[in-house]
Amino acid sequence: MDNIEPTESCIIKPALGVYGISYTYGDRPVLSDVTFELERGEIMALLGPNGSGKSTLMKVIAGILQLGADGCTGQVKYLGNDFLSMPFWIRARKLTYVAPDFRAEFPLTAEEAVMLGRTCYGFGHGGSFFRAVTNEDREAVHEAMDKCLCLGLKDRDLHTLSGGERQLVNLARAIAQGVKVLFLDEALSRMDLNHQAVIGKLLRVLASQGWAVMLVSHDVNLASEWADTGLLLNKGLCVVAKGKVKEVLSERNISLLYPGAGLTIGVNPSTGAPKVFFGKSEKDRHTD
Amino acid sequence: MLSLKYGVIADADTEVIIELRLPRILLATAVGAGLSVAGAVLQALFSNPLSEPYTLGISSGAAVGAVFGTTLGLEWVVAGLAGTAFCGALVFTLLLYLVSIRPGITAVTFLLAGVMLSFFGSSLVALWMALSDSNGIQGAMQWLLGDLSRARLSGAWFLFSGVFILSFILLSRWRELDALLIGEEAAITMGVPVPTVRRRLILLVSLLVGLCVSAAGMIGFVGLVVPHAVRRFVGSLHLRLLPLAGLWGAVAVTAADFVSRMFTQPYELPVGVVTALLGAPVFLWIILSRQKVA
Repeated sequence: MDNIEPTESCIIKPALGVYGISYTYGDRPVLSDVTFELERGEIMALLGPNGSGKSTLMKVIAGILQLGADGCTGQVKYLGNDFLSMPFWIRARKLTYVAPDFRAEFPLTAEEAVMLGRTCYGFGHGGSFFRAVTNEDREAVHEAMDKCLCLGLKDRDLHTLSGGERQLVNLARAIAQGVKVLFLDEALSRMDLNHQAVIGKLLRVLASQGWAVMLVSHDVNLASEWADTGLLLNKGLCVVAKGKVKEVLSERNISLLYPGAGLTIGVNPSTGAPKVFFGKSEKDRHTD
Repeated sequence: MLSLKYGVIADADTEVIIELRLPRILLATAVGAGLSVAGAVLQALFSNPLSEPYTLGISSGAAVGAVFGTTLGLEWVVAGLAGTAFCGALVFTLLLYLVSIRPGITAVTFLLAGVMLSFFGSSLVALWMALSDSNGIQGAMQWLLGDLSRARLSGAWFLFSGVFILSFILLSRWRELDALLIGEEAAITMGVPVPTVRRRLILLVSLLVGLCVSAAGMIGFVGLVVPHAVRRFVGSLHLRLLPLAGLWGAVAVTAADFVSRMFTQPYELPVGVVTALLGAPVFLWIILSRQKVA
């Protein structure tokens, strides 16, 4: 998918530059010197086996896990500026992280939950603590819920929604937040095929508006369908490969990441996206 | 002669109202509102429906202060039982605060630390009681079960304004509290500086609880039941929840105090016993009926 013309500022600076991220849980190193850049309008799939540090990488970049301790170093730049030293509320207007699940311990309607995405506009110079919800907030929430097909759920309590419906609401929350970089951590895994198709198109539209998206999914085929580029992480703490998703999803890389699975790479006949199958290819079967 | 007699009676009535009833009502409303607001904030802060001032051990610290103060005869030195209790609450709060500023501490570990601190405090109280003369600690015992009968006008006004100011400051953090409803990680990604906010809120809540507990003893269940009940009607957003929780907390403790004075005349039941007796079934009803919805 190279039909998106990069804008001028995009040529100068990547939306997100991630340089030399290392992270350690106690004594156990999880990430070691991960470096990549995410351009505006780019959808990147972050792939790798369980425990390869995909979520950790996203959380470190989003500022949920803090750098600075022993073995936790690196730099994150947003359009060339140091991202992690920005105030929380400014960061939240640039980048948000969408977790696999979305729950509240207390009664909360879907609309209220999406409205929470507007929290960052109530801080700093743009608002005060007693500023009421503005029309702008309401419009953003309505629009985001409409895009994410959850407008019909707006008065339902989060407790009463299914896992997939909660994921739609969480995505609407992130979109209402009006960020420019969107991190999706298995955030679409429970949606049905209808929803996945619509959300895939939505991500494409957002990318064409200059949003950068990074998504983690265990469903390699889903990720390869949507993503322009791929970043493969392995348990060996290193980046195995990065680049165009077609190049990254090679049989060599896939067998390196999932050595026990016996996988083959094919192509989706209608979209041309690489597909991963269980079992050996016909060619291999002949040579056996 | 007759009119003079009536006049005296009227004066006595006024005196009863101003010196006894008014402080008591002020104290009951302030303590009820304070504990209920504190409970609502703690529940959001730890995303845990079971958090309340007692789970965190702050009131336990106050109990330790009160019992030690009484037995050591310190209550005349540090402004009465309330003074030593407040010191106890502050010491335990300081311990909690030291736990909360450790790097990498999560809401769950903090809550567990609070529960442990609470047990530790109760054990200290039990130990002290077992070792000391039982007559001497009668006052502390009565206080432990919740006691509004010590109310004096000046102290009640002080408490009332303290609770009002602290609750208002907590209300001004509604945006952060709302964001915490969907968890700490989500709150961070939505622009809330969670570590700082948590420390600030813990400090404010501790002051609020220390104030309430030192004035009126252990009045359980208000901080747990009232916020849950109010949420069922107005939802969980704090701009609506906190004022209403405060209001209904005040009503609940005032009503419980009324019950404690009226139903066992001429004796007084400790108000903490009444809130627990009435609060426990209500809480059970709340959680069971919520299960049905989910």
